[in-house]
Amino acid sequence: MTSTNTENNLPGPLAGVRVLELTGEHAQFCGKLMADLGADVIKIEPPGGQETRKVGPFLKDEEHLERSLYFWHYNTSKRGLTLDITLPEGQEVFKKLAATATLILESFPAGYLPSIGLGYEALSENNPGLIMCSVTPFGQDGPWRDYKTTDLLHLGAGGQMASSGYDVEDIPDAPPIAPGGGNAWHIASHYAYIGIMGALYHRDFTGEGQYIDVSVHEACSLTTEGAIAIYLSTGDVVRRHTGRHASVDMSPGIQHATNDGGFINTTRSGSNLTPARIKVLASWMDEHGLADDLLDDKYQDLKVVEEAGQHFADVLKNFFANMPLVEAYEGGQELNFPWGAVRTMEEIMGDPHLEDREFFVSVEHPELGQEFTYPGGAAIYNASPWRITRRAPLIGEHNEEILGGELGISKTGLEALQKTGAI
Amino acid sequence: MQADNQNGKRRKDKPLEGVRVVDFTWVRAGPWAARWLATLGAEVIKVEWPENMDMLRLNRFTVPPGVEPGPNSTGQFADTNAGKLGLSINVRHPKGLDAIKSLISVSDVVIENFSSRIMSRWGLGYEELKKLRPDVVYVSMAGFGQTGRQHYFGTMGPAAQALSGLTHLSGLPGEQPAGWGWSYLDDTGGMYGAMCALTALKHRNNTGQGQHVDLSQMITGITLTGSAFLDKSINGRESRRKGYPPGNRTVWPGAPVMNNYRGPIAAPHNAYRTLGGGYNDWCVIACLSDDEWTTLIEVLGSPAWAKDSKFSTLKGRLANQDEMDKGIEEWTSTLAKYELADVCQAAGVRAMPVQSSEDRVENDPQLRHRGMFTEVNHPMLGDWKFQGAPFRLDGNKIAVKGPPPMIGQHTTSIMGDLLGMSNAELLEGYDEGVFWPETTPKFPYVEQAIEEARK
Repeated sequence: MTSTNTENNLPGPLAGVRVLELTGEHAQFCGKLMADLGADVIKIEPPGGQETRKVGPFLKDEEHLERSLYFWHYNTSKRGLTLDITLPEGQEVFKKLAATATLILESFPAGYLPSIGLGYEALSENNPGLIMCSVTPFGQDGPWRDYKTTDLLHLGAGGQMASSGYDVEDIPDAPPIAPGGGNAWHIASHYAYIGIMGALYHRDFTGEGQYIDVSVHEACSLTTEGAIAIYLSTGDVVRRHTGRHASVDMSPGIQHATNDGGFINTTRSGSNLTPARIKVLASWMDEHGLADDLLDDKYQDLKVVEEAGQHFADVLKNFFANMPLVEAYEGGQELNFPWGAVRTMEEIMGDPHLEDREFFVSVEHPELGQEFTYPGGAAIYNASPWRITRRAPLIGEHNEEILGGELGISKTGLEALQKTGAI
Repeated sequence: MQADNQNGKRRKDKPLEGVRVVDFTWVRAGPWAARWLATLGAEVIKVEWPENMDMLRLNRFTVPPGVEPGPNSTGQFADTNAGKLGLSINVRHPKGLDAIKSLISVSDVVIENFSSRIMSRWGLGYEELKKLRPDVVYVSMAGFGQTGRQHYFGTMGPAAQALSGLTHLSGLPGEQPAGWGWSYLDDTGGMYGAMCALTALKHRNNTGQGQHVDLSQMITGITLTGSAFLDKSINGRESRRKGYPPGNRTVWPGAPVMNNYRGPIAAPHNAYRTLGGGYNDWCVIACLSDDEWTTLIEVLGSPAWAKDSKFSTLKGRLANQDEMDKGIEEWTSTLAKYELADVCQAAGVRAMPVQSSEDRVENDPQLRHRGMFTEVNHPMLGDWKFQGAPFRLDGNKIAVKGPPPMIGQHTTSIMGDLLGMSNAELLEGYDEGVFWPETTPKFPYVEQAIEEARK
């Protein structure tokens, strides 16, 4: 396991980028992506802490603003500042901070910041290199601009639900299913990150900042792979299938039960099987006496294979029903079949491949005197490492460090801010 | 920082103009990554070989009726590869390898999504690339990454989703997982490929250094399950548990009240049928507070059942979800899904239609207003709708850079105009099977390019 302070002291790729983050669920993940890659991300919360601190799960199930594992995950490597930007005193401080920032990442309702005098025009006046990225449900204009949403609502409107669910044969009245995990916000954060990186690249050469308007709805609408292309090409709308691609046709099943209660997800039968590969697969199945007729020479003809998709699926289903999940998955992979076990966190924890890649990261929580294991990065950057530099900030943890130390506000000045309730 | 070769003509909405990308990717995740670099203005050169065709070029489900089927005729390839240039070259031929090396020496980014270590086997691993171009940004996008004991394991989107824990997050309790009805980790793996390239370019601006970024598609998925991960690693919570995953709800009726990692616990929070009863006649409604529930009661027309005090608290609504959802659905079934969303939203209730692909293209007023689709002329598909970016830069809509390349469409211009290859060398390359397989029939545009080299 790697620890918070890696031996490798190289700066991350985003070193030198200072971010003011004023966002909850919409774009906090974008802030985390940047912070873990070396940006100095200052999370600005209203005094008393942000709403996302009330979202569980909680440490040992005890509801508390400093014990949200959800907040912990999405706010690693950031520093924390409390500031009431609705008060004139808070706005003054915010303007001073904005003058030092590379990027402001915000997700207030469209038009809110300009309405209190903190729009891009005002803030960039004395900081022409400032980039501001607004992540809102529908963008800054349009008929749905002010509609209120949630993750579920975005996955409904964005098309994820229309593609996900069950075959009618499996569950006759199943609704469209919104995949879990809060992914509408992830999808939006990924696109926001791309827009921001483009703006940073431009800024590096020209010194110019700019305003970026990200729509969660558009980001989700872009994320259903071939559904739109199929509609544009044929006018057909895809139908939902259990554990596999939505499609116009009634494709054979690819998610099969194993004899220990698990499920294995195989690639669509027939779509990638050459005659040589069928021999490899059938020989393995034959070792278990379960090859059925797949060793037959007729399957050396690709046309026959394509037409026999359902038969292949049936034979595979029976094969998997006779073995444990790990044998099915790793056995297939060793023979070069790109199949996946349906894993839960129980199987992912301690996965030796992930350990080889130092994926599991130990993060210190000094306030609790404990270290906890967090997920690592998706990629290994060989010259500028990804790392979690600190656990999520406590409420107002860095007020003094940032306002006093970096902005030079005096002790009495800080006390005054406290009195007005601005911090 | 790199020398500025733009002479002050840089555009905020095309920030990557002047960046050259050698794109070895295929199928979906990799091409989708490079597609976004192109959309931001980069010159992306897609490297292909007709004998081992990108699977998306063969996607028979997206050839429009009346269009001659072929590798240049699929809608799915078109959108996934919009705005790139097409180079056909055999990198396993010594002359092909030399030419590719020349191309890399004048490029900024190399991106690929082969199985791990294939590029090294071709003599194009990072150590080699660095010799050709010391500050090259090299992004590899293998399923399990380039390192780790199972680096050679392969993935397609659905398998990567299964292994990452994403599949298990989606479905109804007591049933097999519904999973994701598309390759979410091809879309998202593609986003990460673009993110890695952009991040490494930013680092190059800071330091003048390139680097190798070793991305894993499967691990990308794990990083999207953070709350579930911490609930296990810190609280020891098993995810194979009663009532989980709770479908579209936050808590399944009768199951203990605990978070399902989507966001706040709320009720109502579900999908409901709407008027018409068609396959996608559904809406989604969520109330995140007692006040929002009270507003919904008014929108429902204040029916007697809804005013029962057992629904007045979140705890009560969670305990009586089946009855509550039945009552809500009686009302939603009387309205068309768009009208329903408008009525709810006008009152401040969170509701949206479930939209199909057709809905998003034809019926979504917001996407229409924002100009999500831009028609671009495509040589085989005619005027074709391409998806734009979900962000505006400096107020500008970001459309695709252009149509996708026909296979090998730009080979002669890249080899000749960019790398300075003479016409004689080009013709020799075609004769020897470097730029087109000897046994594959040539498309008219390939014949024409050869003709022009002859002149």
